[in-house]
Amino acid sequence: CKRDFEMDNPNAPTLVSFWKNGADATKGINAVYSTFYRTASLYSRWMFYHGILKSDEGFGSGGDGGLNNLMRFNQTNYDDGLTAQTWATLYVGVFRANQVITNVPAISMDDTSKKRIIAEAKFLRALFYFNLTLYYGRPPLMLQPSQPRDVPANATTEQAYAQVAKDLNEAIADLPVSYPATDLGRATKGAAYALLGKTYLQQKMYQQAADAFSYLVTGAGSSTYSLTADYRDNFIITKENNSESVFEIQFSENLSESTDDDTDESRINNTGTSISQFFAPPGVGFSDGAARRWVVDEFLQEKTTTNAQDPRLAASFIFNNANPAGPTATIVYGQTFQSRYGTGPDANGVWFRKLLNDHWKNQEGFRSPNNYRLIRYADVLLMYAECLNGLNRTAEAYPFVDRVRQRAGLATLTVAKPGLNQTQFLTQLKHERLTELAGEGWRWADLARWGDLGPGLASRDADFSGFIVGKHELYPIPQTDIDLNSNLKQNPKY
Amino acid sequence: INKNAFEIKKNKADIQVTGTVTASSGETLPGVSVSLKGGNKVVVTDVNGRYSISVPENSTLVFNYIGYTAKEVAVGSNTTINIALESSNTALDDVVVIGYQTIRRKDLTGATGSVNTGNTEKLVSRSLPEALQGQTPGVAVRNGGAPGQEAVVNIRGLATFGNASPLYVIDGMIADPNTTVSPNDVEDIQILKDASAAAIYGSRAGNGVILITTKKGKEGPAKISITSRYSISQVPKTYDMMDAAEYAATNTKAYQNSGMAVQPGVANYNGRVNTDWVDETLGTGSVQDYNASISGGGNGSKYLISGGYFKDKGVLIAREFERASFRVNTETTKGRFKFGENIAFSSSTSRSPFQGGAFAGNPWYDMFSSVPLIPVQDNALISTNNPGGWGYGSNASINTFSRNQTAIANITSVKSNFAKLLGNAYVDFKIIDGLNYKFNAGIETSFDKSKSIRKDGSWYQNQSPDFSQLSDNRSQFLSYLLEHTLNYNYNFGKHSINGVVGYTEQTTQTDNTFGSGVRLTQSGNDYFTTLTTTSGDGRNSSGNLSKYLLNSYLGRFNYAYADKYLVSLTFRADKDSRFSQDFKTGYFPSAALGWRISKEDFFKVDWISDLKLRGSFGILGINTLANYEYIGVLNQAPDAVFGTGQTTYPGAIQSRLASGDLRWEEKKTTNLGFDAGLFDNRLTVNFDIFRSISKDVLLNPPLPAYVGNLGPTPLVNIGSVQNQGIELNVGYRPKLDGDFKWDIAGNISTVKNKVLSLGNLGIDAETGQPKNYIQSGNTRTQVGRSIGEYYVLKTDGIFQNQAEINAHKAQSAYAKPGDIRYVNTVDGGTNDDINDKDRVFAGSAFPKFTTGLQFNSSYKNFSLSLQLYGAFGQKLYNDVLRELDSYGNSNYRKDINPWTPTNTDTTFPRLGYQFAANDRGINENARGNTDRWVEDGSFLRLRNVELGYSFPTKLISKANISSVRLYVSAQNLFTITKYSGLDPDVVGANANLEPGVDNGNYPSSRIISFGLSVGF
Repeated sequence: CKRDFEMDNPNAPTLVSFWKNGADATKGINAVYSTFYRTASLYSRWMFYHGILKSDEGFGSGGDGGLNNLMRFNQTNYDDGLTAQTWATLYVGVFRANQVITNVPAISMDDTSKKRIIAEAKFLRALFYFNLTLYYGRPPLMLQPSQPRDVPANATTEQAYAQVAKDLNEAIADLPVSYPATDLGRATKGAAYALLGKTYLQQKMYQQAADAFSYLVTGAGSSTYSLTADYRDNFIITKENNSESVFEIQFSENLSESTDDDTDESRINNTGTSISQFFAPPGVGFSDGAARRWVVDEFLQEKTTTNAQDPRLAASFIFNNANPAGPTATIVYGQTFQSRYGTGPDANGVWFRKLLNDHWKNQEGFRSPNNYRLIRYADVLLMYAECLNGLNRTAEAYPFVDRVRQRAGLATLTVAKPGLNQTQFLTQLKHERLTELAGEGWRWADLARWGDLGPGLASRDADFSGFIVGKHELYPIPQTDIDLNSNLKQNPKY
Repeated sequence: INKNAFEIKKNKADIQVTGTVTASSGETLPGVSVSLKGGNKVVVTDVNGRYSISVPENSTLVFNYIGYTAKEVAVGSNTTINIALESSNTALDDVVVIGYQTIRRKDLTGATGSVNTGNTEKLVSRSLPEALQGQTPGVAVRNGGAPGQEAVVNIRGLATFGNASPLYVIDGMIADPNTTVSPNDVEDIQILKDASAAAIYGSRAGNGVILITTKKGKEGPAKISITSRYSISQVPKTYDMMDAAEYAATNTKAYQNSGMAVQPGVANYNGRVNTDWVDETLGTGSVQDYNASISGGGNGSKYLISGGYFKDKGVLIAREFERASFRVNTETTKGRFKFGENIAFSSSTSRSPFQGGAFAGNPWYDMFSSVPLIPVQDNALISTNNPGGWGYGSNASINTFSRNQTAIANITSVKSNFAKLLGNAYVDFKIIDGLNYKFNAGIETSFDKSKSIRKDGSWYQNQSPDFSQLSDNRSQFLSYLLEHTLNYNYNFGKHSINGVVGYTEQTTQTDNTFGSGVRLTQSGNDYFTTLTTTSGDGRNSSGNLSKYLLNSYLGRFNYAYADKYLVSLTFRADKDSRFSQDFKTGYFPSAALGWRISKEDFFKVDWISDLKLRGSFGILGINTLANYEYIGVLNQAPDAVFGTGQTTYPGAIQSRLASGDLRWEEKKTTNLGFDAGLFDNRLTVNFDIFRSISKDVLLNPPLPAYVGNLGPTPLVNIGSVQNQGIELNVGYRPKLDGDFKWDIAGNISTVKNKVLSLGNLGIDAETGQPKNYIQSGNTRTQVGRSIGEYYVLKTDGIFQNQAEINAHKAQSAYAKPGDIRYVNTVDGGTNDDINDKDRVFAGSAFPKFTTGLQFNSSYKNFSLSLQLYGAFGQKLYNDVLRELDSYGNSNYRKDINPWTPTNTDTTFPRLGYQFAANDRGINENARGNTDRWVEDGSFLRLRNVELGYSFPTKLISKANISSVRLYVSAQNLFTITKYSGLDPDVVGANANLEPGVDNGNYPSSRIISFGLSVGF
């Protein structure tokens, strides 16, 4: 009788028995998205530490000493979980995306779906590498499913961003403009263009960036996206996947979840985010991170055309005067600010609000269903303006800033500050990005791009007094990886 | 022509010759074939060893009996010829099984160890491997004493970090003999140690091969044999622990010394309770062993049917092991065909409470560490979580975490059954003289079930109040083997050629189902114990199937010229489904040369009767890989959320990496040796020296994070280990004619183990240097050293005064006189302390040499035999002693002798409470990672002594009984050792990496047996 030496593992599909049909391809790409929820190290929590708290907006304000030290640029253990685990989980995502990109092409299935799935994987791989490059500078490029003996060298920052751009350009061709309601949350053509623009902009390649953004701003995609009438709609669970959302990470609350490990087959994975529990103010959450007061002051520089407080301030932060009538009128999770914090140690505290659930709950937990709008149309408009200004087309940049300001009820920039030169306009744009995008995770990238990172920021955020130029722009690459692979070099000054 | 023949016959008149054939020991031998030399007349001796044959005068009779040297006797005109046959056990002419072939022992070129089953049968052993200890050099056996426990067997050192057990071949079937094969059924054991001997088993031979041949019937009238043995077993040594009053006094002093309030339960002690926990937990065990067999044969057929029952009631409460076994072996020759089968069925049951782990503790700690002030059971202790009222520690009374083993025995139970069928059947067809085809089919199948039950209740302090629970696991194991072999045998002139070629297929699979549930239904105090009686919402089930295939081509070619020059070439190719496409097939060749120098004309040494030099080289495989390891599997857990409905969509992706290039661990072995027979072969000497280097040893090295691996890191073929050693085996069997007969055999062997490579393990955080070791507990397996050496702090006596403390900078911040002084190996500058960097290597768990001795003697009807085993030079880590002597939450040994200002000549630090908050000196004295707990484990043990008496034939033959033998034996009667633990024969905390760590090793018992064997 025939003896099958290539027999399948009867206890699980194997690399040989899997990747056979469209259903397998869909499961594969879904698993790449699943990386978002995996452990605390990405969008469930720590990406917000890296993007928000580490910047001059926020700081480690709670009892997590390791976090607080990292946020004040004091890291001695390069295998510290906060940096090493984020690196590791981004690479888990890369490994998953690589499997889809490598295996799906050979599947015999509907061609449109096949191309779309591969394009989604390339978008996600690009997103993972964008973050790896932004935070770690010189990641090794793993572009095939990993093997245990792989010993790649670092890519340069340019090479890494070039790979991100390559993936996105390839993805754009095959990604749809939009999805049916059941598939919202998958990568779209617009999302890929937006991330491509971000990638170029981060390198100050203004023309390429402008070209990419133009799809959403002036091109074919411009009819797909618009700013919501109410700024706050971008941060509440009832207005998810709205017209302003370019790429949005989908979170849901699963009350029967029992693990953050999305590979534990015996348990149920948490598909929510825990950041709300860690960002919520004392008495509600852990308050592991909070905002610096100076950001509030930025909003207070300018009133709306109706002489009211910029509505974005209260949408962005919880603090004593979120309601201009003061702490007795400001409601924090069902109670007044006054009654919660009175004159206590937290009376002057400021907390990031955009990722919280105070609009529908009086407590937080580890499984917040509030979607994270990773790329918003307002962000795209402001970046487009930054590109035009970078190309010395400052006048052309005004209308896009105006759209963002008008939605907030402010006078247009054309009216408020006409005729700014290129440098002045950039300075203004920094203010506009801060007030529009505070607490959304892009501040670190902005500061890095503008070259503003440095001990000079200590006047706003005392943590920056420990910042060493040429070092702290990047996290260290995990020491274990360096130790196990002599081709891999540590970042400068670590 | 007819007429002439008639006349010749007439010339020599036939005479009737009668007589009795006995063994040299005086025992009569039934079934001996008595034939006329040069004629075709054959008779067989009867039950009393008597024969009668009609032969011509002046002819010659030939006496043939398996296991004895054939003897020719000239008849002359004698009509009565009584002869005694010499056992051929050590003779060079007998044949040995070497795997798919039998050859004459004198033609062996590989390193093969033979075990005298007469010696192993004398031992009370639960399984055959256990009985191999000390019987032959190069075979290290570590025995545990638990009923049903398997021995750890390592042949010629340790060459892998995976499964290091040898391959067992039982009557040609590759199968596991542990605890299921009755040692009584075993006729012959051959141990293949070098590449030449073992290469015929290719990819699985690297850890050595043990060939087991079971007993067969012999032609002749039916022979019935009944043996029975009853044994009592006891642990020869325990720790001598304090009674309640002594404990109360010592514990009071300890707390006071540490500036702490005396424990309430001790302060209020009223003398009412004085529990002897050793007595409660430990008792006298018993072993019953009964066997009956009937064997015989005639007209080309032979048969043996045997049955046996074995029951081992352990020395610990609530533990026992039981086995019933049944065997039928037959062989029939008809014309050119020979048919045969060996089949054995055994049913084993083991019962015990939960054992092991932090949950159930270990009685070999708990019986000593439990505090005598705590009652075993008391109504006053009954509570919701403790309905049985069992006694255990409490923070408010007496703070101990020792498990109440009596409670565990009452609350929990595990019952496992193994029903196993093991056997083979074959047909052998003689194609032409010297060329035989054989088809052999073997099967090993086992139906196992294990049910464990935990009722409500608690047995230690702070135990989480879990629901009652039940788990019911079933497993079916099936392995079958099909073998086609061609044996050839051709002699011409001085040339002798023989060998075998073959093709085999083996399939092995395990099919498991696991079920568990909680909250068992109760009826009064009784529990229902089936899964359906558990609560529906906590019920869980799972299962898996695991299967692999093996196809092999094998061949051996032996050539001898004039018995002087011997060549043996062996080859096997194995194709194994457990490896990926490119690595499925492996090739394992070996070659050996032999030179019988004693046959050379120039060799003229009278006292050397036989001398053969041997040398061999070859490559063997070690296969420790689990099924399906080479290929990544898709993890079914990752989900993603999409859509306005926030729906969860299933995902699947490979999350754990797999090394696609996994292959066999490969072991290259070189062996040089000689076999000598001196003084007419009365003294035999076998000597071997070997070196083996294994490479591609499987390890789980750490992986860089950028590969994105989740879960355990995949195995990679990366390590390398060297073993080299010397083995000497000497036997002496004097030619004696008197009533006193004796023989003696001894062996000694040494193995040196050295790790050559462990691959890239990254950088050592301690030193900043490349990491070259694997840490496991207090052992370190480091490149350049042997596996699992102790890596601990070095102690340097006791601080006698403050001046000594001040001089020792690293401990001066906290130490007090009476504290242990540690060697500060690495000077850490200011603020230096004793820490992990100060650890040093402190010896290996591998013996420098091991030795065994077997002595057998008889005087008239009495027999006396002795077996000794010794292992020397190994270091053991006594973790039980660490627990008992750390002045922690346990009872104290009576032998502690704490330092005081007036009692300074001691190795025990000052008395205090181990976990005292404000006395770091006391805390540090209790460190586990120090050489204080590493001890010399050398020992010499009287494994067995047996005194027997055979009733005289005259007395019993009237009752038609051919033999009656009574004996009494003692096993492990004494052990000479300096080791402070219960038994220096330690299985180890982790068989490979921590082989010498005594973490509550179940000690071997002293076993006194009474036996009776009767033959009809």
